[in-house]
Amino acid sequence: MQTSFTAGPLRWLKANPIWGFVVLIFIFFSVAADNFFAVNNFTNILLQSSTIGLIALGMTLVMLNGNIDLSVGATLALAASVAVDMQGWEVFADWGSWAILPAVLSALLVGVLMGAINGFIVWKTGVDAFIVTLGAMLGIRGIVFIYTQEQSFYAADFAYSDFGMSSVGPIPTLAFIFLAFTLFVHLLLTRTVHGRNTYAVGGNREAAINAGIKVGPHMLVNFMIVGFFAALAGVSLSTQMGAATPNLGREYELWTITAVVLGGTKLTGGVGSIVGTLGGVLAIGIMRNGMNLMQVSGFYVLVILGTILITVLILDKQFNRRTNEELRL
Amino acid sequence: MVLSRLKGAGPAVARQGLLIAFIVFMIGFGLVSERFLSLDNIASVLRQSTIIGVMALGVTIVVIGGNLDLSVGSMLSFSTVLVVDLHDKVGPEIGIPMMFAATLTLGAINGFLVGVMRLNSLIVTLGMLSAIQGLILIYSGGQNVDISNQSGTWFRVFGRESFMNIAVPIWIFLSLALILHLIMSYTPFGRRVFAVGGNPTASVFSGIKRSRVVFTTYMISAFCVGVAALILGSRVMGSQNTVGQGYELLVLAAVILGGTSLLGGAGNILKTVIGVLMLGFIQNGLLLMGQPYYTQWLVTWIVIILAVWLDVAAKRGKLFSPIA
Amino acid sequence: MTKPRIGTLTATAALMAGLAAPAAADTVRIGITQNDVGVDSYQTTYEQAFIDAAEERDDVETIVLDAGGDVALQINQMQDLIQQQVDAIIVWPTDGTALVPAVRNAHRQDIPVIVTNSNIAEEGMEFIAAFSGPDNIQQGASAAELMCEGLDGEGEIVQITGQPGYTTAIERQRGFEDELAEICPGIEIIATQPGDWNRERAQSVMEDFLTQYDHIDGVYAGDDNMGVGALNAAKDAGRAEGMVFVGATNFAVGYDAMAEGEYYGSIYQSPVDDARAALQTALDVLAGEDVPKLNYFETPKIDQSNMDEFDRPVF
Repeated sequence: MQTSFTAGPLRWLKANPIWGFVVLIFIFFSVAADNFFAVNNFTNILLQSSTIGLIALGMTLVMLNGNIDLSVGATLALAASVAVDMQGWEVFADWGSWAILPAVLSALLVGVLMGAINGFIVWKTGVDAFIVTLGAMLGIRGIVFIYTQEQSFYAADFAYSDFGMSSVGPIPTLAFIFLAFTLFVHLLLTRTVHGRNTYAVGGNREAAINAGIKVGPHMLVNFMIVGFFAALAGVSLSTQMGAATPNLGREYELWTITAVVLGGTKLTGGVGSIVGTLGGVLAIGIMRNGMNLMQVSGFYVLVILGTILITVLILDKQFNRRTNEELRL
Repeated sequence: MVLSRLKGAGPAVARQGLLIAFIVFMIGFGLVSERFLSLDNIASVLRQSTIIGVMALGVTIVVIGGNLDLSVGSMLSFSTVLVVDLHDKVGPEIGIPMMFAATLTLGAINGFLVGVMRLNSLIVTLGMLSAIQGLILIYSGGQNVDISNQSGTWFRVFGRESFMNIAVPIWIFLSLALILHLIMSYTPFGRRVFAVGGNPTASVFSGIKRSRVVFTTYMISAFCVGVAALILGSRVMGSQNTVGQGYELLVLAAVILGGTSLLGGAGNILKTVIGVLMLGFIQNGLLLMGQPYYTQWLVTWIVIILAVWLDVAAKRGKLFSPIA
Repeated sequence: MTKPRIGTLTATAALMAGLAAPAAADTVRIGITQNDVGVDSYQTTYEQAFIDAAEERDDVETIVLDAGGDVALQINQMQDLIQQQVDAIIVWPTDGTALVPAVRNAHRQDIPVIVTNSNIAEEGMEFIAAFSGPDNIQQGASAAELMCEGLDGEGEIVQITGQPGYTTAIERQRGFEDELAEICPGIEIIATQPGDWNRERAQSVMEDFLTQYDHIDGVYAGDDNMGVGALNAAKDAGRAEGMVFVGATNFAVGYDAMAEGEYYGSIYQSPVDDARAALQTALDVLAGEDVPKLNYFETPKIDQSNMDEFDRPVF
């Protein structure tokens, strides 16, 4: 669960085996791929991991609750479309680049709203979150297509895409935002009541109820948080592109869940950490980047990613025999 | 196990809720479009539903056993490309068994990893989804495959011929549904699947070999994908490499609509058939009403939530969840 | 995301480069990011043809990337190619609109961008060096002419379009609809639905059309893959007789169906020509030649009467 850096590196590694894997592939690609070991490429990996990474932060909270959110890819597309479309509205014609502000805020709000709808349905109906958000995955994508009328939007104000390409010192701004939020959610989980409750609700719901935690509203809040992060990822991606397309973010939910699970979060809830999730996100980012640098054909990348995912799962099982209990949804 | 079956039988509303919703829904569409309830239309929706339908049968059994199978979409691409490609290379007589052998091998890998190794099924089948898609692209080099002599091959029987005025794929779908329903309801194997999915720990103590049961559910799922590939390959007489992309979640939606619980231990093959048909008729009904294709996604969302909510509510006897 | 290793040229190759291409003694590095290789045979064949064409020339190094249909990935690839300071970028846009800022970025770094196959949105035209590919509006118009001939100017037809939001699909639809209204007011398009470039999907859409309408005289499909799906559906319903099927991007299955007399006509478009034209345009741009903005390679009409003049497509 919570890990302390002072508990000795070995014990820390045992709690977060994914970081061992990250180091391993890092060394491998540094040797095997020509352009891998370069500061430029490291920031690149961070930037490219930040989209899945941002969503994964929120997803970790939801999954610690023992829930899941499959609708994040669609929410990402909706937020991106709103952010890019709205800054071109007539109303904001005199605002100049300031039109970006209400557009981005609205996009984030839409994300929170989508999360709230999911959370509210899960809370009130008692239907499994997997089912609720699988439905929402289709439904929100439908909303995206209705809203956009199947069109792509493009930000006429290049200030928007310039922001996406800007840097804070050597670090791309968007990667910096990702790292800042990673720290923030880490503190939220380890230092606040909400964080403690998040573990409690997922670990033992009965006990959590008995301890007086309002489980329904609590889960609602976490769904709103993941909605916010999906929207933020959408905004971040759309500034990189300076545009939004209705098909954006398809299958991102699957990659996000993969990253979170690789990071050691259990699908049953109660176990996991942001440190682990960051490891999972980087593992996927490094593998994709490294294989691209080695010019591995896309066909083989699919096979290798799939195989590694399963292998890591097997190794994790070997290392942590104590988690032999049933893992089910 | 007895308990879970009792719960499945539950109050009468719970058992009939889906059927009632289905009938109301059909009448509603029927009132809006006069073509909707025509025999031609029903036959055509049934025929279009068979591919997702056949896959959903297998996935229902996996889910009852307490697991998921997300690999069925790319497995369908794999099997369809394989059977179409082998048709011209070695002929359908040899090609079909070869396709089934390859598909069942994939099922066995799923079954081994989830059943024997006890790995998490969501992640295992997610990994397989990616790996299988890559495998088939490597196999075909990314090229479409086509059957050259489309009118002269008996392979067309699976997707394009009729028997007693009903399309063969509909016969295949419905008879497979019936067989699997009988297996799940009346054989020791069926009872074991319910037991393993309902309460894995207890079932182990009662002497059931959990690994073998789970393994078998994945083999059944792979077999169903093979059958779906026969229908798809024969219907189209060719295949793209990504033909099954995204099917895994549609299939799962159909299974869920049919009231099968993702917690395992409860579910019903025949209700899955209704779930499949509902998805098919939603799409078709909206199209006949002249709605753009994406409205079906929105409607599907609402229908899934309502259907499962009613199901869950009837079982607990309360409309709203007791969660504070 | 991608900064692949560049295959180093051998000394002999470098020597020969001087002979093969007198205009450019140095080798040029060209990066290409494609739309979605493997999703259909056209794109797969295009990639192979592009690699082959580049290998024939010793003065060209290529970095061949594929976006897998993902806009975000394609933009990453554009950035990587810019960072690697390639001499030119060829892009097959996953989305004509969303690529505009990335193309503008390359333009600002003085790297010429050549758009291939499917054009970029109007707003991006000022940032590209050239477009090379088929004229999809013209293709739509040619298909309208074929349809008009096939139906003798009279009838009710349905249309099955490609992937929604994809420029090629939009342009073919627009070209077809505009031209048809102009030259053939007697033909009415009674319904339009997307078939997503997918044969099975098109087959299902056509089945629904057949149920919905008792009378359909013709079908226009955004490519032959979908057109043959529609033909399959009509044949199964026993209504293919006398129905006029017109497609685009002639696939081998469409060619064969034409030979059988079941399929009226299509537009002949070779991925090999497409790939070679893209590379040549890029080289012309780099050689400093005065390249027109829009370079269309020829995509003639093909129908049952003139199909002997064409080879059977390899895809």
